[in-house]
Amino acid sequence: MRVSDLTISYGGEPVLEGASLTVGDGRFVSLVGPSGSGKSSLLRAVIGLQRPLSGTIETKLARSQIGILFQDDALLPWKTARDNVALGLSLNGMERGKALAEAEAWLERLDLAGFGDRFPRHLSGGQRKRVALAQVLAMKPELILMDEPFASLDAIVGARIVKDVVALVEGQGISVLLVTHDLEEAISLSDEVCLLSQGPRAHIIQHYAVPIPRPRDPIHSRTHPAFAPLYERLWADLSREVDHRAEAA
Amino acid sequence: MMLPGPRYAWLRQLAAVAVLLAVWEAAGRADMLNPMYVPNPSRIGAALVDLFADGRIWPHLDATFTAALGGLALGIAVGIILGVVAALVPAIAELIEPVMSVLNAIPRVILAPLFVIWLGIGLASKVALSFILVAVLIFFTVFNGIRQVDRRLVERVITLGGSRWSLVRHVYLPSVAAWVLGNLKIAVGFAFTGACVGEFVAATRGLGYLLSFAQSTYNAALMFALILLILVVVLLIFAIAGRLEKYLLRWN
Repeated sequence: MRVSDLTISYGGEPVLEGASLTVGDGRFVSLVGPSGSGKSSLLRAVIGLQRPLSGTIETKLARSQIGILFQDDALLPWKTARDNVALGLSLNGMERGKALAEAEAWLERLDLAGFGDRFPRHLSGGQRKRVALAQVLAMKPELILMDEPFASLDAIVGARIVKDVVALVEGQGISVLLVTHDLEEAISLSDEVCLLSQGPRAHIIQHYAVPIPRPRDPIHSRTHPAFAPLYERLWADLSREVDHRAEAA
Repeated sequence: MMLPGPRYAWLRQLAAVAVLLAVWEAAGRADMLNPMYVPNPSRIGAALVDLFADGRIWPHLDATFTAALGGLALGIAVGIILGVVAALVPAIAELIEPVMSVLNAIPRVILAPLFVIWLGIGLASKVALSFILVAVLIFFTVFNGIRQVDRRLVERVITLGGSRWSLVRHVYLPSVAAWVLGNLKIAVGFAFTGACVGEFVAATRGLGYLLSFAQSTYNAALMFALILLILVVVLLIFAIAGRLEKYLLRWN
């Protein structure tokens, strides 16, 4: 998936201007940047929820092969966990019985066996996140867009889910574009980190390759020798960008 | 001895009502209350028994129920359809919303005489009044509800590949059902108000007609008995609506 020269505006000054990045097959790319730099807007444009002012988004993938995980679970509250997972499959033409069986298999795979009949309100935050993940993975996506999906979880639950996500995307060769505020998370999970400048008119100012081998354990990869220098570099660049804009203002 | 705890609240409430009725009855028998205005509970009870004993209540109950439930069903159906269409098609909202706002602003029972002129003194004018009371309530419930639907759910269904119809089926209609069920008890009250007021204005049958008859003959015992009957009927329907709401909104 290639984003070229993307400009997004909500009416006034563009939040994003001339942003370009590429997510290759099976690559895990993170997008970091200051608040208001248009990170989420870029994801929304890729999935078709936001029409860009200009620029192109090229992909060989069909619409159904791109999944998205939001920060909020956004599960339909009137549907059970199983029905929520089966929804995407049904919407894409799968017969209901088969979709439900497939949904159940994904729930089991994500440690939610026996929770299929529960409504979202009756699940914990971590369980809801797993249902949302199952909903996306059941569609067998080639690319998953993640908009700070782990931000609302507590540390232990979040770490376990992240570990499972990494294992699943590595195992299935799924490409990921992750938006996050968390530099440690970005480095520990990604093959490449893209830094956005301060908005408005934000654009990607730097790409960083992450030389940590796969398969990865998201916790242990933080102890890899390449981790700390990269973190310091990224932190310095991000701080400089925020300071530069503050002075300009 | 008084049983403590919230578990026995109903027993204490029942005891309080029994005491109130006993005091009322005693005061009546001691000629402290004028039976023309406040008849004894025993007389009200006798009037109620009479209504059922000679069977003359049934056609009236039938008339009021038919008008109220007919108006309720029509009002809910039309309110939902107009609310959904207006919320999804701005051009239609421009036409419907002002009319509904005017209908919502006025006390709609003032339309009762007009319905009698248009539809006669039969069932239709009562159904029409119940209908208009319920339809306006449901229209605004659905119209405002859909416009405030959780955008995250809409976007979730779109990103899963849902069409406009999928949004209606999986997001808007379940949301609408929740809002309508949340207002079902109010709608039931409106429907019976419409039926009884319609029968007050001009009718030959119905609980409203009987109330009007009791008023014109200064039969306070019959009036109290009818008020009690309507109260019990509406509370029963409230209980059924409550059960329905609890079951259908079990996800909440």
